[in-house]
Amino acid sequence: MAAALAYPASWTARRDRDLVRGLAPALVVLAGLTVVPGIYLVLTSLTPLNLASPGSEWDFSRPLGNYVGMFEDPRFVHSVGVQIKLSVASVVLQLLIGLGVALLLHPNTTVRQLARPWMLVPMVLPPIVVGITWLALFTVDISPIHRFLAWIGLPMAPLLTNASTAIWAIVLAGTWQHFPFAMLMALAALQMVPENPIEAARIDGASRWQVFWHVRLPFIAPTLVVAGLFILIDSVKAFPLIFIMTDGGPGEATEVTNFYVYRQAFSFSLWGYGSAIAVLMMLGVFVLSWVIDRITTRNDGQWS
Amino acid sequence: MKKLPNSRLQSGMSPDASYTEGAPSAGPRANGPDRGRRSLLVAGSAALAPSALGLHAPAVIGQAKRFSGVTLNVSCWSANYPSLLADYVREFTEQTGAKVNYDTPGLQVYNQRADLELSTKGAGFDVLNITFIFTSRWIGNGWFTPLDPLINDRNKTAAEFDFADFLPGALSPLKDAKGATYGIPWVTDSGMAIAARYDLLQANGLGMPDTFDELETVAGVLHKKDGVDGFLTDNHWGFWYIPLLQGYGGNVFRAPPDDLMPTLDTPEAIHAADQLTRIVSKYGPPGAGGMAYGQTVEILKAARANLSVVTHAAGMSVAEKSNKAAATIRFALMPRGPKGRFPGIASHGWGIPVGSKNKDAAWAFIQWAMSKELLLRMVREKGMGSVTRSSIYGAPEYRKLINVNGVDTGQIVLQTIKLGEQGHMKYRTVPVYPQVNVQLNQAIGRIISGQMSAKESMVQAQASVIADLRRAGVKI
Repeated sequence: MAAALAYPASWTARRDRDLVRGLAPALVVLAGLTVVPGIYLVLTSLTPLNLASPGSEWDFSRPLGNYVGMFEDPRFVHSVGVQIKLSVASVVLQLLIGLGVALLLHPNTTVRQLARPWMLVPMVLPPIVVGITWLALFTVDISPIHRFLAWIGLPMAPLLTNASTAIWAIVLAGTWQHFPFAMLMALAALQMVPENPIEAARIDGASRWQVFWHVRLPFIAPTLVVAGLFILIDSVKAFPLIFIMTDGGPGEATEVTNFYVYRQAFSFSLWGYGSAIAVLMMLGVFVLSWVIDRITTRNDGQWS
Repeated sequence: MKKLPNSRLQSGMSPDASYTEGAPSAGPRANGPDRGRRSLLVAGSAALAPSALGLHAPAVIGQAKRFSGVTLNVSCWSANYPSLLADYVREFTEQTGAKVNYDTPGLQVYNQRADLELSTKGAGFDVLNITFIFTSRWIGNGWFTPLDPLINDRNKTAAEFDFADFLPGALSPLKDAKGATYGIPWVTDSGMAIAARYDLLQANGLGMPDTFDELETVAGVLHKKDGVDGFLTDNHWGFWYIPLLQGYGGNVFRAPPDDLMPTLDTPEAIHAADQLTRIVSKYGPPGAGGMAYGQTVEILKAARANLSVVTHAAGMSVAEKSNKAAATIRFALMPRGPKGRFPGIASHGWGIPVGSKNKDAAWAFIQWAMSKELLLRMVREKGMGSVTRSSIYGAPEYRKLINVNGVDTGQIVLQTIKLGEQGHMKYRTVPVYPQVNVQLNQAIGRIISGQMSAKESMVQAQASVIADLRRAGVKI
């Protein structure tokens, strides 16, 4: 009896040990690829590293100088504001459009089955192609959109050179590219919704909207929250569209934090300062990842 | 016959691999545990090195395929000359045996890539363009190889290269404070004015504008005449704003390169910004404030915008026969302000990064790429319109090429380079100008897009530039 009881404990220990052994190679590679550069990033952020100033590389005389300077830098603060605007708009639009298209494609008809792969096309295009395409679409001289609007008597001013519209033009292009992710997540979740409560609601006389709002949406809401958080993380990485379409302008109207890091590091060679901002962004993404982890863990618990 | 030093001949096996000219790339790596393999490589290198370098000095220049086994990594931004040069690079390989990886990305991408590579003193590139805006930073930090020892070495530089033939004005930005040469200029691009539809000016009894006030007036009169917009230039405001700023008596810094206190909020700076943005906003096509170089040149080629300030190279591309603007384009000097005429000038040149391990082959490439013979062929065969050798300026083929609709544009270039002797371009070669350039682009962008008045925007630019310079460690 005692041996029988001891066996599971020993087995658990062996399992844990084997798990660690099995994972070790992957963990070593992961550490090499992410942890080591991450440590270097943090160390660099504690120095005034400027590639044009020899000797600034390991100068730790003012370790928090970059972090203090960051909050006294109005352009950094402005870039965070632009980032929040871009991120919130991206999450809301991508979720709404993704969910809307998923609802349209959910029922299994031939036409819808044919349409599904086409809806994924924007997501698989290289960001450079998407940027150039939308730059052309927003350039008054050559844009079919502008020409059509002018033809029907509703000429539209250029969006990218107007400070109040440039960020929305970027959001629009980004939404077009990334909504298929939300669509795929929503589509997968919709197909997991059990038929019984839907049938029960219909028998009780619920309208389509009521079925969606009271039955389907509560089922798919956790998936949408996770999708939204992924979109949020992705929006923090926004760069190619801004680089191609506006270069952060007009003025600083589309200069998100990521783009500001790029300016500081690559245009000005201020790697210490750029690294400090990057560390802050990294912490933000860690927090979001933790939130996703908590939500998915809780959902797993509920579903199990 | 002079022999090369022995150490040079065996540099492929030297632990200090900074000058491993001609040695196979495996040489420096032959320090692994496999001694047999290493011995083989060392022996192979020893056997190859004399033939690769040319044991006897004069034969170094004349020896065919003397760089067999060498791979040169060459990069420059995608201007006209480097783009045209791509068609000829194969000939260099045929002549010398050196394989060339040749790359011409866009200016911004090139600058960032080169800046990063140079700052680490890496060996990733053997020949790089020394971008004008980075000359002080790249040369001042010792990131490029001094070329004078190579130029003066008769074993490495053919007499026909004729270094004295290069225009002094083109060479001067590529020298350090002591006069050492670090680059061979392939262009001294000069800012000037053009009218893509000069016929419209004539029809309205107007001549090419000589002052900025005249430019504004003429652009206003011509705007939308025959469906053509009055004015358009690209959104590199850090280059196009300065002639106005200096023309009205202002400058970017108080006294560059010694006193780098920015002076962007002065009345002159605000007036210049106000006028430039007014011209662009009122007389440009929709979205003119955000148009990059490529977009503006295409519109000018199609003669859909009239007046512009462009570089000579860009103007010559607008004047190409296949373009609608070819028959009607007119060139003139950059307009002046009350305090004088201060056209933008930008010299770019080939240099050898200090970390290159193929310096002799790199120098051979530069000599070939900048030889009189090749440049003249490029003028004849490709219609290349911007050169830095005085002998080519005098060549009949070139004179014919740069005479556009009765105007000798070469004379405008030479006059512009001469104006450079005023020293007004000193602001541009200070190491921190890239920061200021971005700030100016944004400041003018803010005004054109209506976010701020000229005064508000330039005051903000002044504060931002001061913060940027302090962050970069500049004492102001």
